[in-house]
Amino acid sequence: MQVTRLLGFQIGVGSVARRVGIWSRSYSVGWTKTKLSEHTDGVGRVTVKPIDSRKTFLIDSYKHLMETNPVVLFVHYNNLLKNEDQHYRSLVKQNGGKLTMLRNGVFGAYLKNSHAADPCAPRSRKEQNRKHPLLPLFKGPTAAISFPETNPGSVAKILKLLEKAQDRLFVVGAKVEAEVYDVASLNQFKTLPSKPELQAQLVGLLNVLGGVGLVRTLEAGSQTLYLTLSSHRDNQTSKNEKQE
Amino acid sequence: MITKYFAKVVVKFNPFGKEAKTARLLLSSIPPAQRLQGTQIQTEVLTSQSNKSPIVKITFKDKHEMELDPSTVNFQELSSYFDRHSRQLGLKESIEKS
Repeated sequence: MQVTRLLGFQIGVGSVARRVGIWSRSYSVGWTKTKLSEHTDGVGRVTVKPIDSRKTFLIDSYKHLMETNPVVLFVHYNNLLKNEDQHYRSLVKQNGGKLTMLRNGVFGAYLKNSHAADPCAPRSRKEQNRKHPLLPLFKGPTAAISFPETNPGSVAKILKLLEKAQDRLFVVGAKVEAEVYDVASLNQFKTLPSKPELQAQLVGLLNVLGGVGLVRTLEAGSQTLYLTLSSHRDNQTSKNEKQE
Repeated sequence: MITKYFAKVVVKFNPFGKEAKTARLLLSSIPPAQRLQGTQIQTEVLTSQSNKSPIVKITFKDKHEMELDPSTVNFQELSSYFDRHSRQLGLKESIEKS
């Protein structure tokens, strides 16, 4: 008795799923045929979605997130419980970052249009960058951890924290300055010294070498150029004198 | 997807590869309460240089093991593949109970 009930239930679920599939397919066909809608606000900004809509706001906020933060780690998160979510948010905040859950569709739309001045403006498929290297990361639940400064030390700290989180939260990729990193290159990046440290090292190196050697090296190029040119001029003038 | 009878889940995938969607949807379909009830979940993130192949390996509570390459199937196909054994276990459980 229970067996038949179980089977009956499963058949019902299957047919519902199929119906949903057909519905979504016909919807997508209808969408491609219609022209992109346009909205204009008082200042003259043209957007695909209404100017005060959530999607326009989100795309603008993603643009801000990606352009003001040089380091953004993308993490996969797995059904975090409320207290886990709060725990990780506070941990990330303590290490100088910010955890933002992303909407994949909207973030994908931003990435495809990120090369343009206004990513919300209507644009045909040809004008979009549909092969953005970050695009494959936005399949499944994704969040971003953003850092306002390029500091490999804080990235290393966060990576160590996330190791403890195991399957709940793990890094899948990253954007550092203008480059896209995978996990291996991110592990290399975290071992680098921070930017101020590198600058201090460079200054120290220059001090140790002292002015003399460095000045000579820097001057060498222009000096040889001057010598070559002057000898060339001498040749020319002597030729001219002979012709006369 | 029936995840109730999973004892251990091992997922290896490259997030930039085409297997990423299937693998990540599988990971996200396991409810958080199940983690507390002792289902082990192990994930390994591969890179394009690593020579390991992407894989989903599930050990059920009756110690039956099943594995599948997530780059060849979509999530629906993957879930129906693993559901085959989960349903058997479900049937067995319901018969034992009644």
